Amino acid sequence: MDQQGRKAIVHIENVSKSFGQTKAIDNLDMKIMAGEFVTFLGPSGCGKSTTLRILGGFESPDQGRVILDGVDVTKQPPNKRDVNMVFQDYALFPHMTVGENIAFGLELKGQQRGEIDRRVASLLDFLQLSGFRDRTPDQLSGGQRQRVALARALAPDPKLLLLDEPLGALDAKLRGQVQVELKDIQRRTGKTFFFVTHDQEEALTMSDRIVVMNAGRVEQDGTPEDLYYRPASRFVAEFIGETNLLEGTVRGSDQGAVIIDWKGHSVYGSANGGQPQTGSSVAASIRPENVICLPQRPANDRALKGRIVNRVFKGSKTTVDVQVDERDPLIIKAHVDPAVAHQFADDTVWVTWDTNRLAVLAG
Amino acid sequence: MTKSTRIFMSVIYWAFVVYLFVPLVLMVVMGFKDSAFIGFPIQSWTLDWYKGVFQDTEVINVFIYSMTIAITSTLLSLVIGTWVASFLGPYKFPGKVIIFAITCLPAVIPGIISAISLRIYARFLDIEPGMLAIILGHTVHNVPFVALVVMARLATLPKSHIEAARDLGADSLIAFFRVTLPYLRPALIGAGIFCMLLSFDDFVRAFFLGSYQPTLPVLIFAKLRSGMSPEINAISTVVLVMTAILGIWAERSMRRMNKGA
Repeated sequence: MDQQGRKAIVHIENVSKSFGQTKAIDNLDMKIMAGEFVTFLGPSGCGKSTTLRILGGFESPDQGRVILDGVDVTKQPPNKRDVNMVFQDYALFPHMTVGENIAFGLELKGQQRGEIDRRVASLLDFLQLSGFRDRTPDQLSGGQRQRVALARALAPDPKLLLLDEPLGALDAKLRGQVQVELKDIQRRTGKTFFFVTHDQEEALTMSDRIVVMNAGRVEQDGTPEDLYYRPASRFVAEFIGETNLLEGTVRGSDQGAVIIDWKGHSVYGSANGGQPQTGSSVAASIRPENVICLPQRPANDRALKGRIVNRVFKGSKTTVDVQVDERDPLIIKAHVDPAVAHQFADDTVWVTWDTNRLAVLAG
Repeated sequence: MTKSTRIFMSVIYWAFVVYLFVPLVLMVVMGFKDSAFIGFPIQSWTLDWYKGVFQDTEVINVFIYSMTIAITSTLLSLVIGTWVASFLGPYKFPGKVIIFAITCLPAVIPGIISAISLRIYARFLDIEPGMLAIILGHTVHNVPFVALVVMARLATLPKSHIEAARDLGADSLIAFFRVTLPYLRPALIGAGIFCMLLSFDDFVRAFFLGSYQPTLPVLIFAKLRSGMSPEINAISTVVLVMTAILGIWAERSMRRMNKGA
């Protein structure tokens, strides 16, 4: 049980998997809670797809176990598992109609004809595919195919639904819409979704929880907000969203804030994992929208003076590049409200931020 | 291309077409001649030769005999060929290239060599010359064609389709029959018709492996020896029409398959 009283539906127990010399998954150990929308996020080759395929039964781990709802399924083939998958290319059977595709899993479960028909009809209705029952997959659009694949995977009522980058084949405009739909479907069905993607925006939009993977290991496991504002590592900070990465050495601490010497400038941030050792070299991350630009020197002494060297109007915001040092071109990117951007007419600006927003990262 | 070369090219092309079709046209035309002698001039026309063919129980029996051989050997070839293709297609193992080469060999061995060796082998196995021997001979010859066509089709089947079937509760056998086999259907139809034509058309193997009961090509050959008559033209025309229809249909279904239908 977790804090919200949900039980673990899946336990990935110390799983490792190698392909030849490459370690695809390096001792992964985690629980997935019932009803959770978990996203495995990472660049290609990070081990996220291998994890998904191990859960689906298409790969077997070299070490470790997979526990599904209390039962060890490590050795079970895909057809014996209460897990269904939405494939990247949807893998709809071309010789079957939409209805037959959705009914496939139900037939193999040995359900009665009438029962199957009712279930198929209700899924078609649920996914707004009612008129498409007798069409074949090649008569559908990309978005419709994606929904049929989802319906087919949901039909046998699996304990866990695996989604392997199912939005990759859709065009950018449709993708945004489908993200919202998918999250909504997950909420309404209450199913546990295990989603795999390399698209950080997709992950942030839909997930309850994101697991960032890199080179077979978990970099960070947390809510989208955690990952965005409190990245645990430099990799996470750079992989998710746009950020300013400041590299320097730890100078000391001041009332809980970490003071970093950033090439001669003192910057103040906070460390998640306790005060880093003085003198150690660290990186710190701050999001452009958390950087505050002021036309005058503020009352506190934690501001840096700089000059705007580049400004771009983007409608809802103006992005500016602030050069903090004349000699060494240190740049901080910031977002400014376009309505007040004129205040910086002579381009002189003071930048500052809430100390909690500058995340000090190890290494 | 200049105008003169273009004219030259089209003349060559039409000369080839004439060369290809004149014998066929002559054969068809002579089947309607009201005379026992083949040759011009044709004074009067008749359908008697055709009536004769359709009333001749020997010809009908031989036709049925040939069809039985063609259908049976085709079915066997499809089963074995698909089996071989499913085995050779997806898996990688040492010696795969050699097994593939051996599989293809019967398709390229000269018919006469293959026929003689099959005859010897059939005798070695105590199989009497006759229908069974011919069926086995034709099957050996046809399996490579089926295997090649099915392998080509199989290579285009996304792996995820099988995985999806497995994921939805199918064991590997159900996945094969419910997903792989329907996907192979156009390839199997095409290859099957091709096999039927090869079998129906085969003379050398049928001659060497057959008993006193002839297949259709062997019968025509026997009749030819006792003298050319328009009856042969009529039989041949019937066969020509049937095989042409089948062949065109097969070709079309193969083309549809290649378009990815």
